[in-house]
Amino acid sequence: MSRVKELQKSLFGGTTSNARQFGMIFTLVAIVLLFQILTNGLTLNSGNLISLVSQYSYILILAIGMLMVIVAGHIDLSVGSIAAFVGIVVAKVMQDYSVPWFLAILIGLAVGVVIGAWQGFWVAYVGVPAFIVTLAGMLLFRGGNQFIGNADTIPVPEGFRTIGAGFLPEIGPNTGYNNLTLLLGLLVGVAVVVREWRARRVRQQMSADVAPMWISAIRVAFPLVVVVFATLQFAGGRVGTSFPISGIILGVLVVIYSFFTRNTAGGRHIYAVGGNSRAAELSGVKLKRVNFLVMMNMAVLAALAGMIFVARSAASGPQDGIGWELDAIAAVFIGGAAVSGGLGTISGSIVGGLVMAVLNNGLQLMGVGSDRVQIIKGLVLLLAVALDVYNKKQGRFSIIESLTRPFRREAPADPAPGTGTDQERGKSPVAG
Amino acid sequence: MRNTLVRSVAAGAIALLALTACSSERSADTSTGTNAGGSTEAAKGFAADALIGVALPAKTSQNWVLAGDLFTNGLKEAGFQSDVQYAGSSTTVADQQAQISAMVTKGAKVIIIGATDAAQLSTQVEAAKAAGATVIAYDRLIKNTQALDYYVAYDNFKVGELQGKALLDGMKAKKPTGPYTVELFSGSSDDNNSAVFFDGAMSVLKPQIDSGDVVVGSGQTEIKQTSTDGWKAENAQRRMDSLLTSTYSSKTLDGVLSPNDTLARAIITSVKGAGKDIPVVTGQDSEPESVKSIVAGEQYSTINKDTRNLVKQSIQMVKDLQAGKAPEVNDTKSYNNGVKVVPSYLLEPLIVTKENVVEAYANDPDLAPLTK
Repeated sequence: MSRVKELQKSLFGGTTSNARQFGMIFTLVAIVLLFQILTNGLTLNSGNLISLVSQYSYILILAIGMLMVIVAGHIDLSVGSIAAFVGIVVAKVMQDYSVPWFLAILIGLAVGVVIGAWQGFWVAYVGVPAFIVTLAGMLLFRGGNQFIGNADTIPVPEGFRTIGAGFLPEIGPNTGYNNLTLLLGLLVGVAVVVREWRARRVRQQMSADVAPMWISAIRVAFPLVVVVFATLQFAGGRVGTSFPISGIILGVLVVIYSFFTRNTAGGRHIYAVGGNSRAAELSGVKLKRVNFLVMMNMAVLAALAGMIFVARSAASGPQDGIGWELDAIAAVFIGGAAVSGGLGTISGSIVGGLVMAVLNNGLQLMGVGSDRVQIIKGLVLLLAVALDVYNKKQGRFSIIESLTRPFRREAPADPAPGTGTDQERGKSPVAG
Repeated sequence: MRNTLVRSVAAGAIALLALTACSSERSADTSTGTNAGGSTEAAKGFAADALIGVALPAKTSQNWVLAGDLFTNGLKEAGFQSDVQYAGSSTTVADQQAQISAMVTKGAKVIIIGATDAAQLSTQVEAAKAAGATVIAYDRLIKNTQALDYYVAYDNFKVGELQGKALLDGMKAKKPTGPYTVELFSGSSDDNNSAVFFDGAMSVLKPQIDSGDVVVGSGQTEIKQTSTDGWKAENAQRRMDSLLTSTYSSKTLDGVLSPNDTLARAIITSVKGAGKDIPVVTGQDSEPESVKSIVAGEQYSTINKDTRNLVKQSIQMVKDLQAGKAPEVNDTKSYNNGVKVVPSYLLEPLIVTKENVVEAYANDPDLAPLTK
């Protein structure tokens, strides 16, 4: 093993998926820095970061659900229509029946569960391909949106708007920053340190090689620097703004779903089904139940995303949700998921979604028209996946390749660090 | 095995927060906070080369394309920097929200908005206001926000009245006595103007319908029944196709109230497709294709709301704001956006039929050749 590799391994954790994540994050950083220069510093300005998070959090929430759908080997084209349908239902119950907003959110989620059960039933128990079921759903719920809303725009009350347009309140002493955002940043910072400390302790207990202290220091310092800067930036925006509530919802979902897909049997079953559904079924995975739950989960997240958008727009309109499915699917594939299913990570999809978001935002800040923005986004999607496919064929470092290794059928899943996977990527240089 | 939950926390946080540089704007903001939110800030004016943002809907109508070009050139001539943006064709609302946020970030002093959905922009308009920008609603009144400063548009109720009157005049010219059979079309229901046009037209047509002189063949007289989603030609054509099949297989159709030219042409296409005589069809916007159609005797009328004058008036408002003057308004009571009455400047529309088409466009370099 070369020295470079050794360093890479100890810095990024040695597991292939970490190296891959580094590659994705590197791409994101490169794009952010590029736009930071091209827009004379506007990209990382606090106002812009805050609007970036609140503009794209609903797409990223969709990407979480879409990742699981795609990993399970399906696709969901109906998310935009479901979001629009739930949005109009929620707006309507609040307007016509004066339902309090928190109850309306529960109603919205319940509608998501029902729609999800409907689609999951057809996909899992009848066996209609998800592409067809959700294509039907796309028409069905778009029509439902117009049927209920009469293609009208219905405003929502102030309280409801919090989930889409709200910020952490200003409390405590005047520090020149938003105190709750500072606290949130502190929490994340502590999590970074605790993570490294626990990792070291676990390796000690397992009597495995413990990386030198300075490696650990770098591994903690880099994220910490990022967290501190981000915190100050989000906390230091215009008074009354801070890290958006929708961003906090997204963050919580990312943590929960990342844990679920990596560390629980239920989560691993999704990968098993997507990798080889027959093999998974023979080894005791309840195929139908997994498919049902994956489709249902997507609908619930779509319902949530729809409500966040409605809250942010202060009204539910007939054009809500159009094209969202494509944004979510693009985020998942840029984030390294495989078209055939079985591969992909939540954090990869989030980074993929952020790449698109920063690209969109940066081009808008430069005053590039939406026609050209669409052309550029289309090319980026194609090139990002094509480059990875090409690298894989050439036997060089490949994002998808390094991602797939722990889950590949011929190589039994063994994501534990430093076991037998290294010879396969012996030629790979340090990512980026 | 390291603790992946905690690792996920960090990964999520990193991905979310992205990578940022450090600088606090809050301290800078609070020091200028005294003049940020108040109405006094308009009176102070701003730099003569300041950035002016213009956010327009998707390029679905030639009017918006023309308006964008006029804004780009007009603002440049007036010495401002301009950022003129159109919403994308599929994700219009989200695009426009993002574009307005980007303009605020870039520090635009005035943001002129031609809304795609007039009720879904209040969050962005409020953010713009809080950042010290003046917001002008262009052509479409932005609803449910205190933060909207001005509204500039043609008098749309008047447009509707003129359309209703033209429809009656046109039918009388063809057939001296009634009853006349008509169909009604209205615009997209997410556009505040649709109802205003329709109400204006109905203010003229309603007495005739009540007296039985005008009959709506399908009986569809409610705005919800007549609306055309997204102002899309295909939707109007589809509705007209169904009306022709359901109601006019034996009856004759004398006139159609159409709120704009794109829809008027779609309606005419549908009627032609069914092999019927073209009824009297109204319109609006003076699109070149419709002007040709009027000259050829197909579409009966259109409305000339010269985009040049509207853009000129908007830029005049920007200039006044720059100089620290209050912009001129001529209506301070008609346009209530749900939470406030927005001071408005209304321009007079002009009805154009085959009779006056030559004079009406004599000053228009693009349309004048079409009338020869």
